[in-house]
Parts: sequence; C-alpha cells; structure tokens
Amino acid sequence: MTDAPLRPDDAPPSLYDDQGNPRFFNDPGMDRFVAVVMALAQEVWVQEERLLALEEAKSGAAVDREAKVKQFIDRVFAPVRGA
Amino acid sequence: MTVELKHQMKPHATPDEVARGRFVSGIRSLILNDLAADMRSAYDRRAVPAFRKANGRDPETSREAHEALRGDPAFNIYSAMRVQAQKMVWASVADSVEREADRLAAEAARVAAEPGGVELDPALDVPRNVHAIDVHLMPGSYTRGADSLEAGAVYDRGLAVFSMGLMGANLDDIGLSMSQYIRQRFPDFEPRRILDTGCTIGHNTLPWKQAYPDAEVVAIDAAPGPLAYGSARAKMQGQAVHFRQMCADDLAFEDGSFDVVWSSMFLHELSKKQRAKALAEAYRVLRPGGLMLHMELPPNAQMGAFDGFYLDWDSYYNNEPYYKGFRDEVPSELCTRAGFAEGDYFDFVVPSIGIYGEQAVAEAAHGDRAEAVGQQTTGRLAEGVMWFGFGAWKR
Repeated sequence: MTDAPLRPDDAPPSLYDDQGNPRFFNDPGMDRFVAVVMALAQEVWVQEERLLALEEAKSGAAVDREAKVKQFIDRVFAPVRGA
Repeated sequence: MTVELKHQMKPHATPDEVARGRFVSGIRSLILNDLAADMRSAYDRRAVPAFRKANGRDPETSREAHEALRGDPAFNIYSAMRVQAQKMVWASVADSVEREADRLAAEAARVAAEPGGVELDPALDVPRNVHAIDVHLMPGSYTRGADSLEAGAVYDRGLAVFSMGLMGANLDDIGLSMSQYIRQRFPDFEPRRILDTGCTIGHNTLPWKQAYPDAEVVAIDAAPGPLAYGSARAKMQGQAVHFRQMCADDLAFEDGSFDVVWSSMFLHELSKKQRAKALAEAYRVLRPGGLMLHMELPPNAQMGAFDGFYLDWDSYYNNEPYYKGFRDEVPSELCTRAGFAEGDYFDFVVPSIGIYGEQAVAEAAHGDRAEAVGQQTTGRLAEGVMWFGFGAWKR
C-alpha cells in the first residue's frame, strides 16, 4: 500500500523478499509451496463438508464438523509435526 | 471453531464459505498450539545449544531468541504456515462482505434511530500506521471501503475466524474479563463516563457499558469505516455507545472529563511518539480519581527470551511494526512519563472469563497478583489464554 513499508526498526532486510513478503526458507519457492499446500487442503476440506452434508441427509445423523476438521488437519499435516 | 456473530450483520455465508472458515480456524489452532510447541522444543534442542556454542551463553533477549531460531526447520514451517493462515483468515470472509454490502447497509439503517451514534470527522488526517500498511495482513487495513461498513464487516467476520473461539461468543472476552476484574477488585469505583481509545468496531467497548450500565460510554478510533460498523453493531445489541472519529494522541475532550480511559490491543499499534502522546492525553482527560487501563501484550522485561520472541514474531511477519517497540518499553515508566504517580501504577493478569469462568476472574481480582505475567499462556491467543493489563489511578 506504500512505497516505504513500515517495519520494526531492527528488522534486517534479509527477512523479506524483493516484494516485501516475509521469507523463511532458503528456496523462496518453498514459501509459496507451503501456501499452495494449505490452500489445496482447504479446498479438499470444502469438498469433504459437501460429502458430509450428503451423508447427513441420507442417514439423518448429524456429524460433528469441528471434530472432523481437526482429524482432517491432524492427518494431512502430520508430516510437518516435530520438525 | 469459528464464532457465529451475535447480531443482524452476521454473514449469510454459503456452505463453502462456512467450510473455508472452519478450516482456517482449525489450521490456526494447529499452528498456534501444536506447531508452536514443536518450535519451542526445537528451540531447546537445537537453537539454544547452537547459540551457546557460538556465544558462550544462552539467548537472553527476544531478539537473540529470534536470531537463534531463524532458519530452523520448526521456525520455518511454523512461520510460513502462520503467515499463510493469516492471509486465509481475511480471504475466507472477503467474498461474503462484498456480496452482502447492500444488506449490511440496510441492516444498519434499520437501527439508525436507536440510542447511541457515530460522529465522523472527514477532515481528520488518518495516521499512516492506520492506512499505509495492511495491519495484521488485512488487505486495505482499517480504511478499506472508506466510511462504508466494509472494513468493519471484514474485521468482525475475520476475527470470528481468527479467534478460534478464544475471544468469546461476541468477540468481547478481553473487555468482559477486564471490566469484571475491575468491578471485583475496586467495588466502590463507580465511573460515570468511560472512554475507549482505538476501539475499531467496539467489540471490547460494549462490556464496559454492561459492567457500568449507568455510565456514558464513548469510543474513538481514527478509521471511519469500523466506527460506522461498530455503531450499528452496538445498536443491534441494545448498547448505547457514542462512537467518534478521533486520534487517541489528540483527544477533542476537555480536561478531567472521564473516569475511565481504556484500550485493548491498541497501544502496540502506535509509534513510540504517538503512544507517549496518547498516554499523556489519557492523563489529561481523566478526572482526579479516574482510572487509565490498557489491555496489552505483556512486556519483554517480564518474560523469558523465547516467550518474548514468540509474541514479537508478529512485529516482523504480521505487519505489526510497532509491536516489539512497545513490548520493549516498561509500562510503569510509560505511565509515570504521562503524569501518573509511580505508586498509582498497577499491572495484573486476568484469566479469560470465557475459558476459566467468572469465579476465576473474581479470584484473580482478590488474590495474589505478583505472578502469571511470565506464564506461557499470558498474552498468547492459544488454549488457556490469559490477558495482561496495566493502568494507573489519577490522584
């Protein structure tokens, strides 16, 4: 939004890429790849909720979506735990 | 979990939008609880020993803990995912706000005649820290949509996703916890006029009206849109609050005209100079016997290196440029520089009333207050959160 971004006084320029975005991995592509994986997981969950709605309509039994989404996220992101 | 807003401007979200919001709340919970714990473990196992080897001692400050962790795999994955989750918070609500702009305006118009109101100041020079940066990565910041309801709606709906249920059913846990704490700790204090500075949409203003229903409550902010939204939101909840567009460091109120000057999560959004002026203004507009009170992040001086770094993370990666500068300051010194006497300063930690209950808040108000600031749950929006506050009486 501005040519001179507001940043903490002691923030080294190396924390950011040439567009001002925070960078964490040595390969800047990895930062974007993390975002893609998360967006993809979100869209898979959207489809999962659609399926849950169909199953609820068919069975008449309500599903605890909060518990389901936690199980889903724990399962998908298990490989990043304990890094 | 995503909170369902308790007023007529709550989103009429599609099932897909609800699912997206639920996912974002869930992934934030994973990051802020599980990945945060992984990062702490990595700090102890790898970062501290490496720092010790290079420097002959452990990290002693937030800055050194940050240096020690930069590049660690646990830091990288926590940080990259947290930044992305923050962007997903706002993205998950943007479509519904845009689609429902006309309905929101109609809902606000329906309650326009209710008690309370909003007074905007088109001539106000909105400070750079409010408009020139996407604060906490919210696109367009607090001034998106100018004086329309857009910024307020994005903030309110986004906070419902962001908070994971930890900021209360009405996103008012901070205000509820703090106002109940003050009522319990100072039962003879009966403020007649209360000012909330930097109120955004007034979500933590309303609890003060509930705690002291006979008091006149005024709430100010520099950004016009959130005030317009906050006024409609307050009216919908039957709370008569007067919202005015104004900067906290230049209050258009007379000397000695308030009994309470309050803020929540606001001082860290100001530059050092603005913050000093805002506190001096608070002192000026308080009556003798009045109370200045701020809910904020706990100061670095009262935390260990890792816990300090954990909170300062936002300063570098979540567009909160003044966050660390504020946390490096000493609250008691801020108050004395503003004019308060040293002996009239106090700080405290309040358990979240939504998580721990009213009894826990009462026990905190009446119990030993010399602890808890350094606890891991203080100031962190994660399971078991507790809120830090400080203030001073004007004699």
